[in-house]
Amino acid sequence: MAVSATYVVGEAASNLWRNRLMTIAAVLTAAVSLALVGSTLLLKQGASHATVRWQQGVNVIVWVKPSANPAQTTEIKQALAQNPYVVSCAYKTQAYDYNEARDLLAADEFQSLDLQSMPSSYRCSLNDPLQATEITDQFQTNPAVSLVSSPTQQIRTMEGVIRVLQWVFLALAVVLLLSATVLILNTIRMAIYARRREVSVMKLVGATNWFIRLPFMAEGLVQGFLGSAVAVVAVLGLYFGLGLNVVKTAANQNSLIAQMAMGGWEVAMTCLVVVVVGVAVGVVGSAVAVSRFLDV
Amino acid sequence: MITFQNVTKTYKGSTVALRDCSVEIDKGEFVFLVGPSGSGKTTFIRLLLREERPDAGRIWEAGKEIGNLSKWRIPYLRRNIGCVFQDFRLLPNKSVFENVAFALEVIGRPKHVIQSQVPQVLDLVGLSKKRDNLPGELSGGEQQRVAVARAFVNRPLILLADEPTGNLDPTTSLGIMRLLDRINRTGTTVVIATHDAGMVDQMRRRVIELDRGSLVRDQARGVYGIDSSVAAAGAGSPTGQGVEVDGPSERLDDQAPDPTVAEV
Repeated sequence: MAVSATYVVGEAASNLWRNRLMTIAAVLTAAVSLALVGSTLLLKQGASHATVRWQQGVNVIVWVKPSANPAQTTEIKQALAQNPYVVSCAYKTQAYDYNEARDLLAADEFQSLDLQSMPSSYRCSLNDPLQATEITDQFQTNPAVSLVSSPTQQIRTMEGVIRVLQWVFLALAVVLLLSATVLILNTIRMAIYARRREVSVMKLVGATNWFIRLPFMAEGLVQGFLGSAVAVVAVLGLYFGLGLNVVKTAANQNSLIAQMAMGGWEVAMTCLVVVVVGVAVGVVGSAVAVSRFLDV
Repeated sequence: MITFQNVTKTYKGSTVALRDCSVEIDKGEFVFLVGPSGSGKTTFIRLLLREERPDAGRIWEAGKEIGNLSKWRIPYLRRNIGCVFQDFRLLPNKSVFENVAFALEVIGRPKHVIQSQVPQVLDLVGLSKKRDNLPGELSGGEQQRVAVARAFVNRPLILLADEPTGNLDPTTSLGIMRLLDRINRTGTTVVIATHDAGMVDQMRRRVIELDRGSLVRDQARGVYGIDSSVAAAGAGSPTGQGVEVDGPSERLDDQAPDPTVAEV
């Protein structure tokens, strides 16, 4: 199959220009939906930063002093196992907690930590999260335990809000993504309809389906890419606008934004996902639209 | 070159387009496919282009059975078949040269082949001087010549024509027929579906007649609408005013106009 690149690019460009209004409509719809997808991903990322300790149903954490001897550790483990409110517990080593602290704490605070002084921890889920205080009371006085912590009301509220927001955003994004796909499909279909004589002559003289299909797919690729490029701008706007690029310090670490702060590579990954989804929607949508016209 | 073996084609709504049709056309033949509207001529052509598949029976074309041809092979089958239609099907925004060149471009022929073959075939159809005109600037006959040039530029084994003179006046039609005849003499098999009685009668070539999907007549050196016993007496043309037809066909002077061709 010899399909020259100049042919594909030339045809796609002239089609885009001929149907520029529909192209703009498709690009904008794709942009809005992809921006929502990107924002959802970004907020989700931030929320997981803020609540990383409390994921997977962890309701209470018993911090074991680094100085605790094996017998004391076992004793704590057994006591937790016998507690009627505890469903299950996971043991995290000092190394794990050290790494987690690096992610969670402000840089200047983390400086003062070292692996040897880190506690290990039991992270337990309860059959009734409200009973976390019972566990606190039971273990707070244990000489081998440095601290018992449970999520504060602030985090619980934030988790709830973010969860609802995530679903709303996700639902919106899916609906808009669908409409963007349909619009791209429709744009391509109009482009083919405008050129149905040409397509029928192509088929008559023996052009392969790929030869006819490729320019339209290139067109969808451009639309999807332009849409995702606009969406990337929006995602970056959200990132910098909210100040999610702040460096966590001792001074600001209690603010929600600082809790959700994330590094540049995470934003880059989000943008990459947006571009990939946009291009895929454009290419696949066009291929589907053309195939209906190519049926012999 | 073309073989139909008990071919039946039924469209939705149980219209029988072709019924148990068997026919054989050899390489280099020139065949008229005649019959009233709805007799199955166009279905015959569409089956050969593999735009339709037979419901029953088998079709061979250029040595290959095409009934069960897989979809991706269809374009390669069509590269061996040229086709001309009543409505020309030219691209209005492309010049004569570009229209003909388009047929080579879309099958990936290199530029130098296009540059040498297109002028050749435009010369054959007598349109060298109009190569840069748009189809809208040409007469109907000239447009059909462009269509013939496009169908023939790839030197197909078979040339199909579905009512090629349906939109043209008799004199112009004769020019197109002469052109098809010339192409036939290069060895290309030519099949023309038509109800232009005058043309058929003048050319005196093989005639295959269809009626409501059934093959009712297959006659060498036939005329349009006369049964074989009368045909032996010959027939003239009600329309072609004694214009010379070159080629091996013979012309008879007897006038035997057929009342059934009045619809033309």
